[in-house]
Parts: sequence; C-alpha cells; structure tokens
Amino acid sequence: MTVASDETHLKALFLKGLAGDADAHRAFLAEAAGALRAYFRNRLRNAPEDAEDLVQETLIAVHTKRDTFDPRYPLSAWLYAIARYRLIDFVRRKKRRGIAIPIEDADDALFSAPAQEASDARRDVAALLERLPEKQRRAIQLIKLEQKSVREASALTGWSESDLKVSAHRGLKTLARLFREEESA
Amino acid sequence: MKTEDLITALAQGADARPRTGRMGLVLAFAAALAVGMGAAALIVWGLDLVRGPEGMMPAMMKAGFSACLAAAVLPLLVRLAQPGRPIRSALLLLAGMLALAGAVFVVAMLGEAPEARMRAMTGGGFPWCLVFIPLLAIPAAAALFWVVRGLAPTRLAAAGAAIGAAAGGLGAIAYSMYCPIDSPAFVTLWYTAGIGVSAVLGALVGSRLLRW
Repeated sequence: MTVASDETHLKALFLKGLAGDADAHRAFLAEAAGALRAYFRNRLRNAPEDAEDLVQETLIAVHTKRDTFDPRYPLSAWLYAIARYRLIDFVRRKKRRGIAIPIEDADDALFSAPAQEASDARRDVAALLERLPEKQRRAIQLIKLEQKSVREASALTGWSESDLKVSAHRGLKTLARLFREEESA
Repeated sequence: MKTEDLITALAQGADARPRTGRMGLVLAFAAALAVGMGAAALIVWGLDLVRGPEGMMPAMMKAGFSACLAAAVLPLLVRLAQPGRPIRSALLLLAGMLALAGAVFVVAMLGEAPEARMRAMTGGGFPWCLVFIPLLAIPAAAALFWVVRGLAPTRLAAAGAAIGAAAGGLGAIAYSMYCPIDSPAFVTLWYTAGIGVSAVLGALVGSRLLRW
C-alpha cells in the first residue's frame, strides 16, 4: 500500500472511531500498531521487546490523547510525532538509568512495511493493574478486559455510567504512568 | 499483555472520549492567560507599585508592545501543544514581530542625539526588567503549563519556551504599570530580552514538567 492511500484509509478509520465507532477504532489501532511496530523495530533493532513496549505505550498515548488530533492536518504527522516523542522519552528514561540505547538511523517513513506479528511485551500489565486505585481497576477490568457494556458494568457495581467511563479513562492514564515509572524504577 | 489484547481493551473505550474540541482549547488557553494576567496585575497593584496618572500614557504604550509580543507567540504555543502541527507560519509571525521590535529599536536609537544614545538604551542603571518580567510571568506560566500538560506536546523544550515567552509577555504588561523608564530604545531592547529570559527558563522547566 502506498503512503498516500494509507493516510486516507487510516484517517477515515480514525475519524469514525472518534465519532464513537468502536470497530473502526479497533481497526485503526490494529493498523497503527503494525506501522508503529515497524517504526520502533527499525530504530531498536537489538531490542524487540522494548519496541513492543513502545508500541503499547504509543497506542495508549494515541488513544488517550486522540482529542488533540485536528482533522485539518495529516494523521500520519500526528501519529509520527507521538511515536517519535515516546521513543525520545524512552531513550531518556534509559539514559537516566545509565543504559545507552543505540537508535538506528532508519528513514522516517512511518508507513513502510508494517510489522504485524507482535512479540510479547516485556512488562506484565496484569501486575500493574493491581496497583491502580480500586475504582479505576474495577472499571478497566469490567469494561476493558471483560468487555462488558458500560450499562452492565454500572448494574454490577452500582456506579453511574459516566462515573465508570471517567474511571476507565483515568485508569488508562494511570496505567500509562505506571508503565513509565516501572521502567525508570 | 499482548498488544492484541491492549487494542481490544482500548477499542472498548471508543465512546468514552473526553471531548474538548477547538472551542474548549481556546477557552482553556484564554482562561490560563486571564488567570496569569490577573495574578500579575494584582501583585503590582497590591504592592502599590502602579505609576501615577502622569505615567499612564507611556505605561499603556509599553503594555501594548508587550501584548503584541505575547500575541505573536500564542499561535506557536498552541501548535506546539499538539502533536504534528506545522509551525512554520507561527514561527514566521514571531520572527516578523521580533524584526519589527528590532526596527523600532534602531529608529529610536537614530532619533537620539549620539551622546544620549547610551542612556536611552540602558536607562542609566541595571535593567531590572530582566528580573521582574520573568518573576511576574510565573502565574501565567503556571496556568499555561497546566493547560499544555493536558494536551500532548511532543517537543517539550520548545513548548516550554513558548509558554515562557507568552507568560513573559503578560509579565511585561504588568511590569509596564510600574517601570519608570519610557525610552522606546530601552523598552524594545530590555522588555524583549526579559521575555527572552522567560522563554529560556520555560524551556529548561518544560523539558521536565511537560513529560507525559
């Protein structure tokens, strides 16, 4: 697929997802994951697990910050800027711990040959989940992992639907922060 | 966790989007600027540093100059707060404003008698605005940092510098109400430099404080 058609295609999916279409959002995330994996692997040739961690971190960032995308601008520029930032942040975190990460001088084509087969990420998200505040953890558990509808989750917990949505959203953000703290710990 | 599972989990939250929108963005920045400006003005006024009525005219001129500098930084700041926005036009606007300030400085210097130039430029002492403009910029900078942290800056030092410069512009507006030196050469040189100091401090703080 060419870069131009990828941009149009991905952007269409992303905008549908923004409008609340969960299937389109899912398809977007899956395709973005492939592109991101190729991007990070090209730059971290000797550390595929790190690359996969970064794919996950970037997906969470893309998801939680998707409000900062303005449809008037190219999606690839937005996605690539976030990926680049996550990579720089990652290298800095490692450097603070005294680990030098060689960054390969790959070209900046984000959409070059997506890498679809994921390797396992290094960190254990289940363990991190345990460290979330009770409400956020329950919200994520029910809505995100057990894939119950917000209404079902609300019936189960007695919390309001908007309360649950907010908790799930905050939970993801907390999770993203724990990801980073764990690494710099 | 497999990336697959993460994607499934994230896609479940497609409807739980916190909506800000362009309007919300404008309001957030406007509120931060208003809070910062209000706090700085309150400090100058509260310490009874505002000049008397005879100094109001030049004070307003200086405040206007400072406001122009702050306004010229804002588009850049808004763009740096979000990933992947083109910043060239915003940089050109800022460069244009700085060039204008430079031109005013040169014209003002040429307008002075040669022996009076040094005094017009230095104001005859240490340019305290280098210290007070960044100090008065702190409230606005804090509010702006808070807003930008909620967005997604990807060039942290640059975003921090833009915050510092915008806040510095507001600090300079507040400082104008006190500053007794009115020579245009002094104002265009040292006010701009004071805002520049704020920008440098903002860049230093930004690369730490803006991480997300």
